[in-house]
Amino acid sequence: MANAALLRHVTIGRYLPTGSAVHRLDPRAKLVAIALLVAAAVVASGYTTSVLMVLVVASLVPLSRLPAEQAVASVRPVMPLVAVLAVLQLLLGGTSGAAAHEEALAAWGFIRITPTSIRVVAIMALRLVSLMVLVSLLTSTTTPGALTMGVDRLLRPLGAVGLPSHEIALVIAIALRFLPILGEQMEAIMLAQDARGVGQGSGGRLRLLANARRMAALVVPLFADVYRRADEMVMAMLARCYHGGNGRTSLNELRYRPVDAAAVGIALLVLGVVIALQGLGMP
Amino acid sequence: MADPAVVIEHLGHTYLPGTPLESVALRDAGLEVARGEIAALIGASGAGKSTLAHFTNGLLRPGEAGRVVVFGQDTASPSLDLGALRRRVGLVFQYPHQQLFERYVGDDVAYGPCQLGLDRKAVRERVRWAMEAVGLPFQAFKDRQTFSLSGGEMRRAALAGVLAIRPELLVLDEATTGLDPRGRGEVHTLLRRLRDEEGVTVLLISNDMDEVAEVAERVTVLHEGRTVLAGEVHEVLSQHDALAGAGLTLPTAAEIVRALAREGVVVPGRPITACEAEEALWLTLRS
Amino acid sequence: MDEPLIRTSHLSYSYDAGTDHAIPALHDVSLAVDRGEYLAIVGQNGSGKSTLARCLNGLLTPTEGEVIVAGASTRDGAALLGIRATVGMVFQNPDNQIISTVVEEEVAFGPENLGVPRDELRRRVDDALRNAGLLDQRLRDPHTLSAGQKARLAIAGVLAMRPACLVLDESTAMLDPLARREVLRLLRDLHADGLTVVAITHFMDEITQAQRVLVLDAGHVALEGTPREVLAQADVLEALGLALPPAAVIARGLAVRGANMSVGVVTPEELVAAVVARARAA
Repeated sequence: MANAALLRHVTIGRYLPTGSAVHRLDPRAKLVAIALLVAAAVVASGYTTSVLMVLVVASLVPLSRLPAEQAVASVRPVMPLVAVLAVLQLLLGGTSGAAAHEEALAAWGFIRITPTSIRVVAIMALRLVSLMVLVSLLTSTTTPGALTMGVDRLLRPLGAVGLPSHEIALVIAIALRFLPILGEQMEAIMLAQDARGVGQGSGGRLRLLANARRMAALVVPLFADVYRRADEMVMAMLARCYHGGNGRTSLNELRYRPVDAAAVGIALLVLGVVIALQGLGMP
Repeated sequence: MADPAVVIEHLGHTYLPGTPLESVALRDAGLEVARGEIAALIGASGAGKSTLAHFTNGLLRPGEAGRVVVFGQDTASPSLDLGALRRRVGLVFQYPHQQLFERYVGDDVAYGPCQLGLDRKAVRERVRWAMEAVGLPFQAFKDRQTFSLSGGEMRRAALAGVLAIRPELLVLDEATTGLDPRGRGEVHTLLRRLRDEEGVTVLLISNDMDEVAEVAERVTVLHEGRTVLAGEVHEVLSQHDALAGAGLTLPTAAEIVRALAREGVVVPGRPITACEAEEALWLTLRS
Repeated sequence: MDEPLIRTSHLSYSYDAGTDHAIPALHDVSLAVDRGEYLAIVGQNGSGKSTLARCLNGLLTPTEGEVIVAGASTRDGAALLGIRATVGMVFQNPDNQIISTVVEEEVAFGPENLGVPRDELRRRVDDALRNAGLLDQRLRDPHTLSAGQKARLAIAGVLAMRPACLVLDESTAMLDPLARREVLRLLRDLHADGLTVVAITHFMDEITQAQRVLVLDAGHVALEGTPREVLAQADVLEALGLALPPAAVIARGLAVRGANMSVGVVTPEELVAAVVARARAA
């Protein structure tokens, strides 16, 4: 049952106050800077640029005074997904696009592994790592309140066309706040079901079926739990007079400082460098 | 103790060792439950009660330190038949909605007996018995949707689901929290009946001292992952200082007796329930 | 005589009213809550206590009848914000009421919604935290607080709106005995400072700190009176699925045996005093 305990590793959504410079950035600037870095990670599609992005992102971790394990832990949830995609790509991608015309490094029938297939897989893995760490950085260094305000202020101009910016911002913040709680809930449900013998297959061949049964059995209680919590939360918010973003004040003030402009500037620079390197046709 | 149901000695357990989220749940925990008795495990929130309970049915198995023997079987043994253990030890969790997963109440209660491989008729009988035992009339509730039940009804459904396996050891993890006085009384009556008529052993985890005083015969006190006190219920539940050190209070009746002693009125015996206190006070006032 | 703060008039409520699977929860409930009062509402599970609580601040609109808060009806959509700022509500599960991951931001949520200006916000947050005994925890993540602290945080979050009344919907049900005592002590202190308190509970030992008690059964008021008056009717309470608190049980038992004990004894302190008096007199 060690697997269940791993769910507590859901580090996305947990704010860790370490008092670093990154923590003190204006949330608006931080959001914009991270968005630019995300764009850079998406654009980077060569070995050089992908590795550059991972290095840039990795350097932000000590800059935020976050423990390295935190960053590693944030990547762990997607590893199974990456592995599955990688295998599929390697096995099935060898016959299309640029790979079709390349010399195969290894081949069995229609399964061809070419330099391009390997590169696609590697780039995808590096990109996912960068993205996960970036998101984890954002939530570890920004309180939900600050995040809400940042998203709200940035989206505010769209209020003119009817976009409810504060509601959206609050939805994001609450969802993030509840991720660890839902992780714990899932773990508790799995334990309780284990105790009743759910998913105890009686043989190796039935294991696949048993695991499927386990996943299916998780869905209903988890969904019911989410629904119930959402219902209670809405009532609690209404009871505290929430009525959207109009007329709301806020405890902590947002103030731009030169370091915020610098952060955005640096992110813009990284994006520019990545685009330039791609344009130059670096591998 | 001859032929105990559960023996746990010097148990240690750490969640997520070696990570930033590491937390020590148990340090030197011990527990003994004799067959056919109603025992209680108490402690403040976070003392490690639920963790200890998870060792009784193999959800957790000893690794770093300690020994866990349930019905004579060492749960650390690699040849342990987990399925068989979980048929003998039924664990009811704290929050019923973590335990219920079938759409209809009848199906959820039937899940355990079906796993046991019983035929349809036998399963139906078990479900009927279990539901009636917890106070959820079979006909009225078997086709209700589990998540449409009220909190108290869900608790009873979760209990029925575990009872239907007919376990020899029933572990209730704060399973009566949130039940109203009548509901709680009904569960207590049920527990006593199971013990008297079927020899079922019960381990009740609770932080309601009055409930423990009413129902338990033996009590173990956990504090920060360590067993600090264990023994017969009257002996344990009258030790104010030790309990206070573990973050607990005395049962109300015992507190009244203690307050009286401070005023110079000494009451005989060690009453811990209202009935016992009434009897003892009557004797005191008459003399 | 002052107008009551909250008044319900022939209040009835059914879930899914008007459909063929409507579930009636409240029948013709008429009650009044005076300013500065401490009212306890008890009843077994399913008696309609929570439904009644949610009608008091307009979270639920009456199917029939009226709920008037400080002169405004909860049927009046435009008045709801003011009503909810006047009658604050705390729920049972602390985790599902806490929105933020910083204690002081959490407490600020309510007054922020009311558009309270920043410097006043800071003052209100500090006052609420101080009253709830959480000033030192202001920058912590609520997730790391104990259950009792979380419950007090939920209360602080409502106090920051400076409501005239606090309604607690079984807020102690999920707490261990020590945490429950913390919360009850806080409620006594708040009431002493002038807050109107309406506490919904099924713990009979909690009603003794109230001034008035309402007992609900199947959606209507079955008993009403001071804690003493209500607890004197042990047979009725038992029929309603409720139990006397231990001190009252003991006192009654002694009285029945002829110990010359006033049946009005309901709290442990009173029982101790009564027994000491009898013992010394002997």
